[in-house]
Amino acid sequence: MQRDIEKKIWLYTILIIGFGLVALYSASFENVRVSQQVFYDQLVFAGLGLSVMYVISRVDYRHFYDTAYIFYALNILLLILVLYGGRDALGARRWIEIGGINFQPSELTKFLVILMLARYFSKRRPMFLFDLTEKIEVILLEIVFPFALAGISMYLIFKQPDLGTAILLFGIFVIMLFAGRLKMRYIGGFLALVMIMIPFGWHFLKPYQKDRLLVFLNPNIDPLGAGYTVIQSKIAVGSGKIFGKGWLAGTQNQLNFLPERHTDFIFSVIGEEWGLAGALLLVFFYVQLINCGLEIAEHMKDKFGMLAATGVVAMLALQAAINIGMVIGLFPVVGITLPFVSYGRTSFLVFALMLGFLINISRRRTVF
Amino acid sequence: MRLKIIRVAIFGLFVLIALGLFYTQVIQGQYFARLSTNNRIRVVPVEGWRGQLKDHNGKVLADNRLSYDVMVTPQEIQSTALSSKDSSGLREEEGGESLFRFLGQVLAVDPKAVAQRYSRGKTAPFVPVVVAQDISKEQAIVIEENRYRFPSVLVQESYRRFYPLGENSAHLLGYVGKISTAQRELSDEYGYSMQSIVGHSGVEEYYDSYLRGEAGGVQIEVNSRGQQVRLLGFREAQKGQDITLTIDSDLQQDALELIAQRPGAVVVMDMDSGEVLGLVSSPGFDPNVFVGSRPPGEIGQLFSNPLAPVLNRTIQGAFPPGSVFKVVMAIAGLHTQKIIPDTTFICPGFYQLKRAVFRCTHVHGAQNLIGGLAHSCNVYFYNVGLRLGSETISRYARWMGLGEKTSIDLPYEEDGLIPGREQRALEGKGGWRAGDTLNMSIGQGEIQVTPLQLARLMATVARNGVIVQPHVIKAIGDTPVNQFSYERRVKIDETIFETVRQGLRAAVTDEAGTAHVTDIPGLFLAGKTGTAQTSGGKKTHAWFAGYAKGKNRNIAFCILLEHGGSSFNACLMARDLFSRMMAKNIL
Repeated sequence: MQRDIEKKIWLYTILIIGFGLVALYSASFENVRVSQQVFYDQLVFAGLGLSVMYVISRVDYRHFYDTAYIFYALNILLLILVLYGGRDALGARRWIEIGGINFQPSELTKFLVILMLARYFSKRRPMFLFDLTEKIEVILLEIVFPFALAGISMYLIFKQPDLGTAILLFGIFVIMLFAGRLKMRYIGGFLALVMIMIPFGWHFLKPYQKDRLLVFLNPNIDPLGAGYTVIQSKIAVGSGKIFGKGWLAGTQNQLNFLPERHTDFIFSVIGEEWGLAGALLLVFFYVQLINCGLEIAEHMKDKFGMLAATGVVAMLALQAAINIGMVIGLFPVVGITLPFVSYGRTSFLVFALMLGFLINISRRRTVF
Repeated sequence: MRLKIIRVAIFGLFVLIALGLFYTQVIQGQYFARLSTNNRIRVVPVEGWRGQLKDHNGKVLADNRLSYDVMVTPQEIQSTALSSKDSSGLREEEGGESLFRFLGQVLAVDPKAVAQRYSRGKTAPFVPVVVAQDISKEQAIVIEENRYRFPSVLVQESYRRFYPLGENSAHLLGYVGKISTAQRELSDEYGYSMQSIVGHSGVEEYYDSYLRGEAGGVQIEVNSRGQQVRLLGFREAQKGQDITLTIDSDLQQDALELIAQRPGAVVVMDMDSGEVLGLVSSPGFDPNVFVGSRPPGEIGQLFSNPLAPVLNRTIQGAFPPGSVFKVVMAIAGLHTQKIIPDTTFICPGFYQLKRAVFRCTHVHGAQNLIGGLAHSCNVYFYNVGLRLGSETISRYARWMGLGEKTSIDLPYEEDGLIPGREQRALEGKGGWRAGDTLNMSIGQGEIQVTPLQLARLMATVARNGVIVQPHVIKAIGDTPVNQFSYERRVKIDETIFETVRQGLRAAVTDEAGTAHVTDIPGLFLAGKTGTAQTSGGKKTHAWFAGYAKGKNRNIAFCILLEHGGSSFNACLMARDLFSRMMAKNIL
């Protein structure tokens, strides 16, 4: 049973990566806008990622638990470093250079937040020496303090600015609260409070983020600016119809009507060239992978493993769904990659890391 | 339990995604497929050449010439900047600056002006902006040679209208320009597009559908920058049809020279065929202003000029006809038998109507009809007018084609105005008095006619009541146009016209005739002068309208000098014009 799950994870991961490489090859095919280097890069990182996945699946499970706080703290330092010494691209500061390699710490945060929260919620939390009533204690210990911990990185990522990842982390936080069996009324109350805060948060958004949200509501208000990408990607996906225009034959793709098509909008290339059939096949792969993850989470005996597995699965599911949703105009354009398919080296490695971790915990049912 | 909920939620999310994909790719698939086709396929229209306009001797009045426009594609400026390694905002501007410096240098203008035209014209990244129009061939070659440095620059070849004779027949020909909104709404189904160059006013507008070529075009597949990827189809643009006009450009030139920028109008028409030989309105303008790359202020000046040079006075100018109207009075009097040719009135130099005094130009003494016409005696026609009454006068005026469009084949013709009791009542200007009838009898007051109407009236008199159809078109391509040979005839006895003609002839031949100065040896000329008073203390309008029988053809004509003083001035001009025409064997 455990063996089967591990095999399935490997299978679907490789299928997704393969699908992504095929799409990326087309996106960069004989093109001046997107260099073919992108494809070879991704090919190298596919190999590298699969190796990382294998290695991670074999290390001692205990290390994840032990280092969760330390790595999380180090990551926060890196995020601060990005803000003050990072490299700019497309109006945002997300990268730092370590030993000649560009690296995006916020991608790593996704995994480290999951580990940190999983450890925190698995009851081994720092002690407080306050004498409080039970309710306040629950609120403080189960919501306020972990939210403050995760909030530090959310804030730093939001400042880059990367609204999408910050919101994604928030979503993961809520899902892990839920999976950690916190009483619904606390979660409900917390969400209600956040809802109330949203109108105030609007003022903290950068103009381009406001644009993107408004354009999500109606892409046609700015067909040549922020709305251009969504309109063109919808045209691409839609014009693929049921069976697509064929590999390397997508006109939206090959004639450069799709911006950012090798990164966040890679799915539009798949939709255009492989049609509904191809798109649903890819969705099916993701669902299978997520299914495996959920099965692992359900069979975990210890809470850390269960929470961490849930977090990883939620991250995978949210990113895949939001990314595809934004390409077809269901969600706002928030700059979230399609796991294992979008070109992005850090993102690729971090997902390899997470799936390696998933296999790892599936191999060992208990920590202690 | 909670994990189950999470599982359901996640699968729900993916079902939503799958539904979204189904909706986008299957239900809306056809729609997006069409959009994607539109995205990549672009039709670049190529306007057909306009047909040429020629005068009746085949001399070209409107032609086409090759011109070169400089265009800059915004996206390309950016991409050149981006390709220079760094993508910081500064480079982009640098790319533009060196480009504008280069263009300024080649075109010998201020680079800032070029940059300004660019930033004003910029609409979308992929739409080329025209930064300079109609540059010389040499400049075009220099720019083309440097395209490897500035890939954003494009030299576009196009055909431009060109009027080789300039002012010669400006009002008659009209000019061309971008289609107006009103024109576009009217003619959408005839294949006009927003970019169409169409005729404005004159023959260019009236015969636009013949003159304009059939637009061809190339269908190309483009990439997101609008760059051509491959050619999909090509249809050659068709040249429009040439049009030969009835106009004589030499006559036009002479008339222009003689009128010498004085405001006024000259109409010379073949009275047998209705072919218009000369149609000059002054002051004139050079129609090349509208099609060339002149500073935009020049066009504005034309329209703001108080002398209204763009107005075609021959058909759009409505003026009181003054004494020329006495021709209508004579016809009406004879036909209604209120007078006979020998009816005589005494002119003491004025006419007293109750307490009001209506003046005459001289003390003419006893005048019969011929004398009244020859000497243009006001008192004679005051008497005729009172016998006729205003309604009869109006009826005859309309019958003779005054106060209504002649239906010449030119746009924007004016009606003029024949006043009367009904018109007064309709416009709420009060009642009609006997004094008004007196004024109207000598072509004064509210009455307004166009010079072309008077020229046609003279043809009618000369041809015993035939109302010819004035027209300016002779042939489209090689096919003669006959549809204007249609003639109307007013049923008035020939003898009546004969009597009037005697009066008009006497005006020229009689020593005391008002047009005696035009008595050119070897030319049978008859006519009626007019000195129409104007309001506002301005000088009078000088008229001379009539007909002439020359060796080569018979003409009816009308000359008007707006605020030109005495009719004598118009007669002088007629004399010089006809002398020149005879010398050139036009008349």
